[in-house]
Formats: sequence, structure tokens, C-alpha cells
Amino acid sequence: MKYQSFEKGRKAGGADEGSDPLGPNSEIGRKLKQYYDDLVSEDIPDRFASLLSQLEQKEQPQNTEKE
Amino acid sequence: MSNTPNFREALLAAVPVLRAFALSLSKNADRADDLVQETLVKAWDKQSSFQPGTNLKAWLFTILRNEFYSQMRKRKREVEDTDGSITASLSIHPSQDGSSDLNDFRKALARLPEDQREAIILIGANGFSYEEAAEICGCAVGTIKSRVSRARTRLQEILSIEGEGEFGPDPIAAQVTSAAGVA
Repeated sequence: MKYQSFEKGRKAGGADEGSDPLGPNSEIGRKLKQYYDDLVSEDIPDRFASLLSQLEQKEQPQNTEKE
Repeated sequence: MSNTPNFREALLAAVPVLRAFALSLSKNADRADDLVQETLVKAWDKQSSFQPGTNLKAWLFTILRNEFYSQMRKRKREVEDTDGSITASLSIHPSQDGSSDLNDFRKALARLPEDQREAIILIGANGFSYEEAAEICGCAVGTIKSRVSRARTRLQEILSIEGEGEFGPDPIAAQVTSAAGVA
């Protein structure tokens, strides 16, 4: 099983791309993407990776009931 | 069981977009990180309800959004702070120093009502379809469309008013924008 790509966009929906009010031809659309790309590319604090490892480890002892 | 490492990796890979969405909603870096953390914990607990092959990002965004609104209800007073601290917390990212254009945009975005900001972020920045965005927000497709359209109009208004100086005096534009400001 693989998870669906994060990149799936409105193009897949197939609607009128040419008149997309937030598409590359729109200034607001471009600024919005620039703003968002900036946020997405920020460094991610380590706490999230450690949190996920902790959650994963917590799950494993469930099968064997001993410490 | 063999699914677990994949799920963990998929969640980790989603952290940057979750964080960007959380920052766009909450406009506060600390609160955004708390939101992401809470979303990851909830997603982990609910992982059996996620169907592989369906849109993980949309599923996670739904969790994060629900968490945001339930936290917001708890801390109503804080959220009503409209200008100062929002702008302050939005300008702390070092990568954002350079472009005043981008800063103007960020401030304009922060002035939108929550529902409009959320809609335009889902559609314009994340590339969700209107249908997906409607599902994430638990509302009708038409509602999302009109929120996006209002958000776009509002951003255009705010930005052209505030950007006026950059383009030099333009009597007609000045007339139009000042009229709009009065209305």
C-alpha cells in the first residue's frame, strides 16, 4: 500500500484550468504560493520526529505484557 | 503491524505542510507547533480509521482543523487579538526578512476572517480541490467557492490599498481606493 502523493492538486479535478482564479496567472495566487512555500520549507523542530518515535515505541510492548 | 513504519514515515513527511497550515490558521508559531503535535498524536491513535490509498493529507488536515477550532473555543479571548501580536509573531521567521512584498501579503492574509483564510489556503496554497476542501471544513462546495472568492477580493483590496505608494501616484486608482476605504 502506498500513500497518495501530497502533490495531487486541482488539476486532477480537471475543471477549467485556464480561468483558475488562483492559478499562476493570478497575482494573489502567486503570492499565496510564495507565502506558503516559505512556511513549508522552514526547518522542522526535532520534537516531531521524536514524538513519532515515542508513539511507535509505546505501541510495541502491547503484545508482550511484561516490562 | 508491518504498516506501522510506513505510517510513521508518512506522518513525518506531512509535518512541513501540517505546520504551514497550522501557522496559517493560528498565526502563532508556538500554538502552531502544539497543533501539529496534537494532530500527530490524534492521527496515531486513529490510524486504524485511515484507509491507505485515500488522501492522507486531507485526512490530517481535517484532524488539525478540528483541533484548531476546539482549542480556539477554549481560548476565545486570546484569539480576538487582531493586530499587534499577530503581526509580531508572523514576522519572526528569518527567511522572511527580504521581501516586504511578502510581508504585506502575510499581513493582508492575517486580516481575513478565519473561514476565508482557511478556504483560500486550502485551495490556493495546498492545491486541494473544492470538493476536498469542503470535506475538510465540513461544509458545502458552494460555501468554499464563495469563501475563496471573497478572500481573493478582500486580499486584492487590501494589497492594492497598501501598495499604492509603490506604484507612484495614480489619480484614478487613488480615487477608487479611497472611495472603497470610505464605504
